[in-house]
Amino acid sequence: MDQILLNIVFWFGIYAIVSISLNIEYGLAGIPNFGRALAVLFGAFTVGGIVNRFFIAIYGIEGEIIDSSAVLKTILNQKIAEDPSFGILLLLLYISLAAAVGAIIGALAILPSARLSRDYLAITLLAISEVFFMVFNYNTTLGGGYYGISVPDVFAFYSGNRQLLFAILSLLILVLIYILAERLSNSPFGRLLRAMREDEDVVKAFGRNLMILRIKTSAIASSIAAISGALFSLFTANFIASNFTRVEWTFYPFLILLLGGSGNNKGVLLGTLVFVTVKQLLTVYKHEIVEFFMIPFQTVWIEYIAFGSLMLFVLFYRPEGLIKERPVITRRVKYGKGPVVNPK
Amino acid sequence: MPKFLRLIIAKSVMLLEGAIVYSNLIALLSLGLTITYITTSVPNFAHGTIAVFGSYLALIFLYFLNIHPYIAIPIVFLLCGLVGTLCYSLVLRPLIKRGASVVILMIATLALDLILLGFIGSLSDTIERITSKSAKKFIFAIYDFEISGISGILFVSTASMISILVILWLLLFKTKFGIALRASMENPALAEVMGIDVEKTRIFSWFLSSSLAGLAGTLLPFKQEIVPLTGSLIIVSIFSASIVGGLASIAGAIFGGYLIGMSESLATYGLSMIFGPEILLYSKVIPLTALIIVLLLMPQGIVEGLRKWIKFFST
Repeated sequence: MDQILLNIVFWFGIYAIVSISLNIEYGLAGIPNFGRALAVLFGAFTVGGIVNRFFIAIYGIEGEIIDSSAVLKTILNQKIAEDPSFGILLLLLYISLAAAVGAIIGALAILPSARLSRDYLAITLLAISEVFFMVFNYNTTLGGGYYGISVPDVFAFYSGNRQLLFAILSLLILVLIYILAERLSNSPFGRLLRAMREDEDVVKAFGRNLMILRIKTSAIASSIAAISGALFSLFTANFIASNFTRVEWTFYPFLILLLGGSGNNKGVLLGTLVFVTVKQLLTVYKHEIVEFFMIPFQTVWIEYIAFGSLMLFVLFYRPEGLIKERPVITRRVKYGKGPVVNPK
Repeated sequence: MPKFLRLIIAKSVMLLEGAIVYSNLIALLSLGLTITYITTSVPNFAHGTIAVFGSYLALIFLYFLNIHPYIAIPIVFLLCGLVGTLCYSLVLRPLIKRGASVVILMIATLALDLILLGFIGSLSDTIERITSKSAKKFIFAIYDFEISGISGILFVSTASMISILVILWLLLFKTKFGIALRASMENPALAEVMGIDVEKTRIFSWFLSSSLAGLAGTLLPFKQEIVPLTGSLIIVSIFSASIVGGLASIAGAIFGGYLIGMSESLATYGLSMIFGPEILLYSKVIPLTALIIVLLLMPQGIVEGLRKWIKFFST
C-alpha cells in the first residue's frame, strides 16, 4: 500500500510538472502544442544521451553507447555511494541541462509554424514530435533505441527506499515550478499571453510580435516539460525512447489540463491528482480487472478507450474544467500604504 | 540484353511500382482529410487510425468469413464511412453547436483517435486469441494476384484512385447536390441563405472522407505491415501531403499526395543506397522535411504559392 502511495506521489509530481508546462503554453498563450512529448523526450535524452556521453569521454570508456553507458553507470554509482555531494551535484547538472536543452528544442520546433494559425501549429508540432519519437525509437547509436541506455542512480548513496527520495524530489521540483508558473501567469508577460489567447489581432495592433511571443512561450514551457522527462529518466535509471509516446506525454497532459481547468494552475494540480490516482489504481489492479470481466485483451486498450471517453465527457459537460479560471489579481500601490489587493 | 541491365530494369520497375502504390494510397488519404477540413475546418487527427480500422475490418472479413480483401472493399468502404459519420454527428457537431473553438475540436479528434486505437488494439488481441493467427502485425501481400510480374495492388490502387476521381468529378460538377456541396465549401453562410442544407453536406463530407480512408486502409496491408499504431505514424505523411498541396484545395490534396508519396518512397530509397538500408526505417523524415520547407516558404501550399510567386516576379 505504501508503495502505491509513493508511486502516486511521484507520478503526481511528474505529471503536474508536464501539465503546468502545457498550461503555460496552451492554457495561457493558446498554443495547441500537440507535440508536448517532444520536449519530455529530449529532457530524458539529455540525461541518457548527452551527459552520459560527456562522462564517457572523460573516463575514456570505449564501445557503443549502450555498452559504455552500462560501464559508466557502475563507475558513477560507486562514486556517488562514496560521496553523496557528487550525486546531488550530478542531479543538479542533469536537471539544469535538461531545462536548457528543452528550451532550445521548444523554440526550434515551433519555428516553422510560429507565424501561422493554430491548426497549422498543432499539425506541425505533432508531426515533428512523432517523427523524432520514431527516429529515437529505431536508432540504437543515438539513444540506445529499443534497448535503451543505462543512467546512473543519483541516490546511490542511500540504501533505503529510493522511491521515497524520488517522490520527495518530484514534489520539491513541482513546488518550485508551481511558484514560478504562478508568478509568470500574474506578471505583465502572463497577461500578454492571455491577451494573445483571446485575440491575436489586438496583441498585433499593440505592436507585439506574435512569432517572438510564441517562440518565447514555447521555450519556457518546453524547458519545464524537459525537467519532468529528466526526472522520469533518473527515476527509472534508464532512457528508453519508447516510454515517451504521444498518448502518455501529450494526450494525458491535455486531459489533465482540461479536466482540472485550463488557464489556472490550481486546477492543473487537482486534475493531476484525479488522473494519476485513477491511472495508478488501474495499473495496480489490472490483473483483477482482466479476470473479473474476463476480457480477452490487454488493459492498456481499455485505458485508452476510458481516457479518450473521459476527454470527450469533459469537453461536453465541463469545458471549463473542475476549477474555473479566475480573473488575474493585480496588486496596486496606494499612496503611503503597502500593496492593496484589487479584487477585479 | 546484358544481365545487369535486366536486373537494374527489374529493380527500378519494382521500386516504381511500390512508389506508385504508396502515392495512390497517400493521395486517397490526404483527399479525405482535405474534404473534411474544407467543410468543417477541423484537421482530423483520427484520419490515419480510421484507415487502420479499415485494415482491421478487412482482416476480420478475411479470417472469419474468408472474403478476399479486394472483394471486401465495398463493405469496408461503407462501414468506415459509417464510423466517420458517427464521429461527426455524435461528437463534433454537438461541440460545434456549443461554439467550441477549432483547438477544442482538434482535441476532440485526438480523443476519438485514442478511443479508436483502443478499440483496434482490443480487436487485434481478440482476433489473435480466437484464430491464433497473427493480428497484431499483418500483411496482405501473400493474398495478392500478379499479372506478368507486376503485383495486383498496383492495378487495384490505381483503378480505385481513377474511379474515385471520376465519381467525385461527376458528383461535384454534374449533380445538384454537388453544386450545393461546392457552395457550402466556398461560403457556408451564403449557401445557408440560399436554402442549402449545409449540415447535410457536412455529414456527407465526413462519410466520404472516412470511407476513402477505409478504402486506403484495405489496400495498405498489400504494401506495408500493419500494427495498431500504424495510424499515428502515417498521419505525418497525410498531413504533409495535404499541407504541401494546400490545405484548402482538393486538387492540391491529390497533387500533394503524389508528391509526398513519390518523394517519400524514392528519396528514402536513394538515401538508403548511400547510407545503408537502415535509412529505410526513417522514411517519415522526408515528408516532415517537405512539410517544414513548404510552411516556411509558402504556407498556403505549393499550388497557391507558385501562383503567387509567378505573379510577384512577373510584375
